[in-house]
Amino acid sequence: MATEDARYRESSQFKQWSFSHSQLAALREDTNAKAVSSISERLSERLVSGTGAPSGATSLPPSNNASNANTPDPEGSSPSLPEFLTAAEESTLVTFYVSELLRAGDHAEFSDEIKATAAVLFRRFYITNSIMTYPPQEMLIVALFFGCKAEGAFPRISDFLKTFQREHPEEILAGEFLLFRGVRFSIDVKHPFRALRGAAMELRSLGDIDSKRIDDAERRARQILRFSPLMTDAYFHYTPSQIMMAALSLADRGLAERLIQATFHYVQPQTESEANTPAASGTSGGDGQRSKPPTEDQATIVGSYIRDRVLGTVEACRDLLHKELPERREHWADRKMYKAHILPLRKKLNKCHDPDRWNLVELQRQTREQAAKKADSDDEGAGGGGRKSVDDDAAVFGGDLSGPAATKRRKVGQVKLEDPFGGAL
Amino acid sequence: MSRRPGAGYYTATAAKPGGGMPLIDKNDMCPVCKMMRYLNPDMEFLINPECYHSMCTGCVNRLFNDGPNQCPYAGCHKTLRRKGFKSAFFGDLAVEREVDLRRRVNSVFNQVEDDFETLRDYNNYLQMVEDLTFDLVNGTETKRREAEAQLLQWEMDHKPDIERNRKAGREAEEQTRRRLQAEQELARQRRIAAIQEQEEEKLALVRNREAVLDSMATGGQRVQLKKRGGVKAADITTAAAASAGSSLLPGSLDVGKLSIRGLKEKKKTAAPEGPYDPFGGYDFVPSRYKVHSGLGHPLLERFEHDRAHVTGGYSLEEFTARAMFEAFAGLGVFIEDEKEVGIGLSAGEVTGMAAGIAATGHVMDPR
Repeated sequence: MATEDARYRESSQFKQWSFSHSQLAALREDTNAKAVSSISERLSERLVSGTGAPSGATSLPPSNNASNANTPDPEGSSPSLPEFLTAAEESTLVTFYVSELLRAGDHAEFSDEIKATAAVLFRRFYITNSIMTYPPQEMLIVALFFGCKAEGAFPRISDFLKTFQREHPEEILAGEFLLFRGVRFSIDVKHPFRALRGAAMELRSLGDIDSKRIDDAERRARQILRFSPLMTDAYFHYTPSQIMMAALSLADRGLAERLIQATFHYVQPQTESEANTPAASGTSGGDGQRSKPPTEDQATIVGSYIRDRVLGTVEACRDLLHKELPERREHWADRKMYKAHILPLRKKLNKCHDPDRWNLVELQRQTREQAAKKADSDDEGAGGGGRKSVDDDAAVFGGDLSGPAATKRRKVGQVKLEDPFGGAL
Repeated sequence: MSRRPGAGYYTATAAKPGGGMPLIDKNDMCPVCKMMRYLNPDMEFLINPECYHSMCTGCVNRLFNDGPNQCPYAGCHKTLRRKGFKSAFFGDLAVEREVDLRRRVNSVFNQVEDDFETLRDYNNYLQMVEDLTFDLVNGTETKRREAEAQLLQWEMDHKPDIERNRKAGREAEEQTRRRLQAEQELARQRRIAAIQEQEEEKLALVRNREAVLDSMATGGQRVQLKKRGGVKAADITTAAAASAGSSLLPGSLDVGKLSIRGLKEKKKTAAPEGPYDPFGGYDFVPSRYKVHSGLGHPLLERFEHDRAHVTGGYSLEEFTARAMFEAFAGLGVFIEDEKEVGIGLSAGEVTGMAAGIAATGHVMDPR
């Protein structure tokens, strides 16, 4: 196993936030289903109690159309329940809001890394949380603020408010811990930007490529990296270096293939000298082979088998990125497109969002009140306090995504304890 | 002082009970012959348990050598005997008297808990004994007499019981004494054994040294020509020969055993352990690329000599190494396959296996 890969496998990006396509889809479906059940429960509670039902929810006609399958509770109060978003619709909306986030980042003149980190954190957040639960319009600003901090830039909250025309710092700060918890405390996002520079260096050192060609390719690839991987699920399915190779391939296919060929150059040697000569003449820098004698290992690290697999993966990633080339920026900002595709979804969202969680400031205030109350009752020595704190731990440390904690959560859920953080969806 | 003054028969003298008792340490003068400690530093006071009147040895010898005589204290009409005198253990004679009385009472009332049917009975008995003792020690004249009579009565009535208990008590005492003795004996033997062991070790050391010296003396000419390693090997062989020879002697077997035991214990403490690895087993040598001086970028060149960057410790090589690492790290990580079936395998390879079972181990459960 290559040492670089071993090191990458230690990152939280690989351990916690990398999924296969089917896993990601299942995760989204699951999140959506949970959100729908919990929100419909809350909405119907409000309808029954008759206090502060969300406007429009009551006036909405009964949703007896095709997507009725989403409403899990058809027998009770279903006539007055709104139609919920599907996982696919949610995904579309998230992508739309990522484009909004990138535009906001451009507006505030943040660096590429900050925008990319914010976008990835935003995407991660809405994998385990539904867009119907927490307001995306607020969360994207939170993500930008958080992304600044994650990338080592520390803007003043007052400046930040001015840039985005907000009034109270609470509006941003309220969602901060929510986001932090939602990304399961892994805030280091590994980006392909520096990798692209490394690739350009490597290409340059090969010596026989026109430097103008490399410069052009790098510029174009960077342009792609700024937009395409963030608008797609590339960060969940591919490693930064693969994304970088795919972007480079989109910019200049020949260069990317050349680089991969130079890296995975190893051929099964007849004799030792024969194996070394092509490497020495062809690729002057891209091999770590000459320092070591060729071994069985070399074949698995830089052999042709792995080269083909890498090429295949890069090709798949390239196809993914191809769907959202930087030219689509205008498409996402287009009014007509917005009216045709996004507006209906947003209207839908306005009706089916979580009534308890939508206002982040209010949510935080309630959370704090509950925490204070809990502290009081703990002083009195209530028996339920200890059990509840266990549940909190599971919630805080992202136990909702691992096996044993999940059973615990289910157990606690039966007891119907109130989770100050809102719990899993 | 809460004690009742001047009621006891022995207090018929001017001396009052408790505080009134003549304290030996306090007044260094014999109350009978008025001899001062100043004149006779060796002066010793004796008392007789009959009346607890203290007097110096001289007076005792003078008055009672010729047989029983009356207490010399004014008003005390007790007849004392020479052999009844003893030196007081306690400075306070009231305490001395109480202890004596208690000893006597205990010798009579020597029942133990096992002799009673219930704990309550035993406690009542103890209470009764204590009451009686108190009457004897602090009671009025009449009470004291009554108590004395009771005591005698009990002694008469329960003579066999008392005798039996006394015997049992003595036996228990004897057992304890024997046990203690046995323990002491064992400890003594251990000490002796340890000393012997030490001496044997010393002896073995001396013997070994002599053997080495002997071997060097005999093989010296030949050894000097050899290299260092050769000397060591020769030493070892000669030492082995010496030990083999000495093992024929009857006493040397112990010596060999001792040294082996010591060796075993030392081996155990030293666990085999490699050098400390600060990176926890990670290899930082790149396997797909090489960081070399040919790597550069036109956009970065200006930073190489930019004061603002270089002064702070910015090193272009570091950036290059990092960029190269990021360009190639994870290139061989195939998330699609690894998240489904595990690291180092491809989905196609494991389709034959029970893929579902394999996947559950690695796939993160979203719930």
